[in-house]
Amino acid sequence: MKCLVEGAFSIEKLTLFYGNKLALSNINIDINKKQVTALIGPSGCGKSTFLRTLNRMNDLIPNCKVDGSICYAGENIYDEQSDVIDLRRRIGMVFQKPNPFPMSIYENVAYGLKCQGIKDKTVLQQAVKKALVDAALYEEVKDRLKESALSLSGGQQQRLCIARAIAMSPDVILMDEPTSALDPIATAKIEELINDLKKDYTIIIVTHNMQQALRISDYTAFFLMGEIIEYGPTGELFSHPKNPKTEDYITGRFG
Amino acid sequence: MSKNKRRKFNDFILNSITYLSSTVSLITLLGILIFIFGQGYKLLNVDLIVENFESQGYVADLYDNVRLCNCETTIDIEDGTYYSSKWGIALTDTTDLLGKNVVMVEYVHPKSPLLNVRDKGIGNDPIELRDEYHIIRIAFDAYPTALSRYGAENMINYLDANDSIREIEFQTEGGGIRGSIITTLYLIVLTLLFALPIGIAAAIYLNEYAPINKFTKIMRSLIETLTGVPSIIYGLMGLAVFVPLTVKLTNATGGNLLSGAMTLAVILLPVIIRTTEESLKVIPDDYRQASLALGASKTQTTFQIVLPSAVPGIMTATLLAIGRIIGESAALVFAIGTAIKDTVSLTGKSTSLAVHIWAMMTDEPANIELSATIAIIIMLIVVILNILIKIISGRYMKRKMGLNI
Repeated sequence: MKCLVEGAFSIEKLTLFYGNKLALSNINIDINKKQVTALIGPSGCGKSTFLRTLNRMNDLIPNCKVDGSICYAGENIYDEQSDVIDLRRRIGMVFQKPNPFPMSIYENVAYGLKCQGIKDKTVLQQAVKKALVDAALYEEVKDRLKESALSLSGGQQQRLCIARAIAMSPDVILMDEPTSALDPIATAKIEELINDLKKDYTIIIVTHNMQQALRISDYTAFFLMGEIIEYGPTGELFSHPKNPKTEDYITGRFG
Repeated sequence: MSKNKRRKFNDFILNSITYLSSTVSLITLLGILIFIFGQGYKLLNVDLIVENFESQGYVADLYDNVRLCNCETTIDIEDGTYYSSKWGIALTDTTDLLGKNVVMVEYVHPKSPLLNVRDKGIGNDPIELRDEYHIIRIAFDAYPTALSRYGAENMINYLDANDSIREIEFQTEGGGIRGSIITTLYLIVLTLLFALPIGIAAAIYLNEYAPINKFTKIMRSLIETLTGVPSIIYGLMGLAVFVPLTVKLTNATGGNLLSGAMTLAVILLPVIIRTTEESLKVIPDDYRQASLALGASKTQTTFQIVLPSAVPGIMTATLLAIGRIIGESAALVFAIGTAIKDTVSLTGKSTSLAVHIWAMMTDEPANIELSATIAIIIMLIVVILNILIKIISGRYMKRKMGLNI
């Protein structure tokens, strides 16, 4: 089934069950290209689940059932013909906890490309360097690319994970609370980086921190109990929320 | 106050039990070490390790035209060594590699009539009586036979009293454990070659691919049960399955190194599977997710991220396995046999050090000292292999992961 998308994703009637538990119900949104979309909401509201439907990471969870369609690059990614490996190459992901592989810094960034079958050393070296430069990490690690990635600080590790994702030259980067395990200075660096990256990538970020959503995102979606309560330009959503539940949440009355 | 006292009393009791138990276990282990070294150090020498086990025995007599030489010697004759200038031979009392008393040839004069004797076996070939051969008996025409058990001095006195010899029996030195050491090393390599790939693959299946259901659970508990099966039962299985199999496929005639290694591999499988699975289990799911999210396939993730991270655990499995291979004797008695051989081949009948000990202890009388010596050598081999494997895996981790472990 072909489908038309103007933005990055077009999501229609998306419903997701974990066994018998409804985790997402009837999600209908379009996500824009080359902008930062923030997903906010209280814990357990389904925002991370939603993020993980976009690169089909939920496939790994047994008993997870998805209905509806997610249109990406002219294709419903939940179609049977859709190639999940190809999809994940085009949609990168950064996790909540920095999770570099227990290998050298260089190998971490080169890993995805090697899995694609790229063996040419000069191509790999250039790609690794470019990704590290783009992730604003190159200057800090250029002399110790052969050292273990685990020797880096938490913030550096997270930027390495971002470098690892952008080395694949994806269209989209999904970020699942990328700064929740970091200190304020490392967080500021990542936010700065996100600002730079949105020129080239569509970024979708889950965050618990509403100030962060306000600082870095162009669009914001507010999730509650597996539904999208409100979705719109960030400035508007925070200054003039249409739904009283949104207002309650962003003013800190619950959550 | 009384509550406080009771707590103190309870603490005292528990602490005392801890200290007492650890002291008992340490003393026990130390005692075993002292016993083994105390018994074994006397026979520990390089000859034992490099010499053949089998000795060549000869019965010979003199050629008809020999003449006694009355050779005076220029070499020093030490205390305990006796020289017969009439026959030009020096004999000494010593112990062989097995610790038995023997009469050994210390020196043969170049002109001695005993230097070249005639083999009484088929062919009557000339044989040279060399240094370090053991003389068992010398028979004379009109005199009692000189036996080695009466010592070198007695034998020399008898020789001096006679002008001719009817028969002399002697043998080359034997009792070395070279063959068994080589067999043990062969067994380690072969068994690991069989058991590691299969065991690691099975562990990967169980931890990474197997669906979480009843069948998998039953499989897992069956594997755990197998670790508790006495190894002699595996030995019977080796005798019933692997020995006929190898006899059919190769030129082996009975229990052989291959069938032994196969049997040991089966014994080790549960251990390797369990240990590897434990090490796979502790690898954070984050790694797998990160790899999959980068567009790596499940197979790539398993073999390039999960498995390399499990290398330290697999090394532990290997070390446990080596210990088990060296220590195993009951199963090997069936699967290889107890024949101690000097020539080692894959389809031959040589046996391992542990079975060598078993053979020495079932000798009449039991040779405890030699067994303890072999035990020392086994411990040395285990220590050396452990260190080697630690170095190799440390290098690997450093190269592959940039990690220092």
